[in-house]
Amino acid sequence: MTTVIETKSLSKWYGNVLGLSDVSLEIEAGITGLLGPNGAGKSTFMKLITGQMKPNIGGVTVRGEEVWNNFRLFRKIGFCPEQDAFYEDVTGWEFLTGLLRLYGFRPAEVTGRAARALEIVELTADKDRKIRSYSRGMRQRVKFAQSVAHDPDIIILDEPLSGLDPLGKRRLIRLVKDFQSEGKTIIVSSHVLPEIEAMTSRIIMIHQGKILAQGDIHGIRDLIERYPHMISVRCADARAVAARFVQDPSILKMSFGPDARSLVVETHNRDAFFSRLQSVVLETGIEVEEISSPDDNLQAVFDYLVVR
Amino acid sequence: MATVREKGYYHWEGRLTESRFPWWPITRTGILLAFKKRGFRFLFAGAFLPAVVFLAGIYISERLEDFKFMVRGSERLININPAYFKTYLANDGILFLMIMVLVLGCAGLISDDLKHNSLQIYFSRPLRKQDYLLGKMAVVFFFILIVTLIPGLLLFVFKLVFAGSFKFFLDYPWLILSVIGYSLILTLFFAFYTLLLSSLSKNTRYVMILLFMIYIFSDILYGILNGIFRTPLMALFSIKANLQQVAAFVFAEKLPHAVPVFWSFLVLAAVCGLSALVLHRKIRGVEVIR
Amino acid sequence: MSIEVKKLSFSYGKVKALDDVSLGLGDGAVGLLGPNGAGKSTLLRILLGFLVPASGEGTVLGYDIRRDQAKIRRLVGYMPEDDCFIAGMDAVTFTSYFGELSGMPREEAMKRAHEVLFYVGLEEARYRLLDTYSAGMKQRLKMAQALVHDPKLLFLDEPTANLDPQGRNEVLELIADIASHKDIRVLLSSHILADIETLCSSVVILNKGRLAAEGRLEDLKATDVSLYELKIKGDGEAFRKDLEALKCRVEETEDKVIKVYMPADRNRMEIFRAAARTGVQIRFFTKSQTSLEDLFAELVGVD
Repeated sequence: MTTVIETKSLSKWYGNVLGLSDVSLEIEAGITGLLGPNGAGKSTFMKLITGQMKPNIGGVTVRGEEVWNNFRLFRKIGFCPEQDAFYEDVTGWEFLTGLLRLYGFRPAEVTGRAARALEIVELTADKDRKIRSYSRGMRQRVKFAQSVAHDPDIIILDEPLSGLDPLGKRRLIRLVKDFQSEGKTIIVSSHVLPEIEAMTSRIIMIHQGKILAQGDIHGIRDLIERYPHMISVRCADARAVAARFVQDPSILKMSFGPDARSLVVETHNRDAFFSRLQSVVLETGIEVEEISSPDDNLQAVFDYLVVR
Repeated sequence: MATVREKGYYHWEGRLTESRFPWWPITRTGILLAFKKRGFRFLFAGAFLPAVVFLAGIYISERLEDFKFMVRGSERLININPAYFKTYLANDGILFLMIMVLVLGCAGLISDDLKHNSLQIYFSRPLRKQDYLLGKMAVVFFFILIVTLIPGLLLFVFKLVFAGSFKFFLDYPWLILSVIGYSLILTLFFAFYTLLLSSLSKNTRYVMILLFMIYIFSDILYGILNGIFRTPLMALFSIKANLQQVAAFVFAEKLPHAVPVFWSFLVLAAVCGLSALVLHRKIRGVEVIR
Repeated sequence: MSIEVKKLSFSYGKVKALDDVSLGLGDGAVGLLGPNGAGKSTLLRILLGFLVPASGEGTVLGYDIRRDQAKIRRLVGYMPEDDCFIAGMDAVTFTSYFGELSGMPREEAMKRAHEVLFYVGLEEARYRLLDTYSAGMKQRLKMAQALVHDPKLLFLDEPTANLDPQGRNEVLELIADIASHKDIRVLLSSHILADIETLCSSVVILNKGRLAAEGRLEDLKATDVSLYELKIKGDGEAFRKDLEALKCRVEETEDKVIKVYMPADRNRMEIFRAAARTGVQIRFFTKSQTSLEDLFAELVGVD
């Protein structure tokens, strides 16, 4: 997969205040999630990639071209910011067409693109109402529309799902996945980790101005050796199952849920555990209700890397 | 025997009561918050200066012989009569001081709540709109009464004390009522005026400016209109003029403007009425959940 | 039943916000869901005693929603969605102030304010001015003022909005702890379905002013089809063929989840046997339920 966005030793300060420090990344096409605690440097990162700010050290290139102040590249990048800041007195239609004209499209194209963008976010019926009268969800959708109306290859979304009801979220996630299949590069930043997981398993985690982790969520989890993998087994008689594993040296910890109806095991060697579990289940004939890995998700990865 | 208090949530074993004055915490808080504002304490202390000056005046008038060397023709200058009290309560300076106290201390009464969305949590309590508004108004009552009624009564008492007799009281038995009455009128008017403007904006600075400018400008407007039309009716445009007109009436003095005092009352009452209307519409408990 | 309403209706002018809604809420935390404009806020306003319904009746904690509105508000704690505070105050003053306004005597309110601030985790910051608070701290403060008067019913409106992942987690843990107390009912309104699934045992789903669904989550999500979801390591093809030979239908989703539809007479052990036979390791196994998201989409119609 070819790199679409590349940053080299990217650093940015605001006076004394740290934004980003020495960030070198290669981002490929598809959906990449961006997460991190407040103040970690995510918005700095997004402003640098969209060419809105000049880095103190290093640079960002998009398909080989420097992005800072590069007008031609701006045409190919769409940005949906987190803040809710609009010209309240224009209608949704005027807002979109106004922005599109700034991109230099011809008038006929402008109307076509605006109409399509509004259709994608299902705001066609409300396009002639002033933005002041829009509900929170509608404002969010119009923000999203402006970020994709000019058909960019690269779309940066900052908390795109905030303000949307569950159906709106579902539709937007589907949209973003459609963009992925069209070959676009999308970076989504969110604080609601389950929502990132619904879109992608590839993430970048920023903390204290640096890249804390990047790659596939499960791959990252595998690398965190400090916390062995947790595996949970729910069945009728967890103690019987546990008895079969007590002697196994690769099991580091075992604990029981209420009524001994579930067993949580910590181990570095999942392979061995699963194989053994299968044979145990078949031998004992115990009805297994559920087998899962409770900490093989983004929230756990975040907790292990940032919090603890 | 040993016990350990567990971490976690505990219930409160008390009983919730229905207070007779549910608005009192609001008033108390409003007063305390006003004192926290920068410069307010100085201004508030300064608002008592006129009282001190007038008190000194009463003292001097009683001990005229001691001060004869300072003041010539003093009998006419410092003559303690109802006009003296009226002057204390309604001269340009003290009215201006009161406006400044309101600007610095009370401008944010409602506008801060609007700005920070705290109406939602107020009304999720068993608090009625009346209680909320009364609580806020009581803050203004406090500040204005303490600069008008209390010193007014104290001046009266000190006059009696310095004179050493009740003669003054017997001469003007209704004076006390005038002092109380006019203080209440001032207080009520300023309370409605302040809350009206405070509820109009989320930005307390705008409210401060409005509170100040409307008062000043209404007087300037009177001056301009009077210059153009040359009719004393224009005095009705000026808040200060109306207040002073009413003061003169309450203290049985000659009216400063050739306008029936009833109309001044009407103008002041209209402002109060407008305020009540706006407050009723602006403060809506229903908006607690959007 | 802490909340019981029958045939509630309310209209704003010509717009019918609530249409003939009847429901009863019992124990545990209840999630309130619905698209924007579905009538959630109208329902909450009626339950909190701010609006009188056009028709219908109900009780909240035993008090009539029409006649005893002030009494209801005494027993209810509300955590609003928007930021709300009073500038120039610190957390202790703020919390005890609102405790007083709820009807607590002043000293009791002060004592209780400290307790509640410890509970929500603001002990270090409780003497600092509210203006200096971060987003997570403001959320906890809102929780504290909702709890100070020991309410029997807690309304939480989007409690995890605008929080970073750590903050979200902490608030969710706090709510889970409160909800675990049997004598506090929690009503949670949120657009984040993951939160509702974690915290709530039952849900109420509104759509277009009407009740779309109500009941325990596990009941609503239960399916009668024996559908199992698996993730495996190993040769999927052989495994699949083996299962299909047993008359099961097998599908694979894009996140590599294998769905096995078993006929009623078969036992789940067959899946394990099939795995053993084809040398496949099962790493994830669960009896499938409808996800809350799918349930929502199905009930609210448009998809």
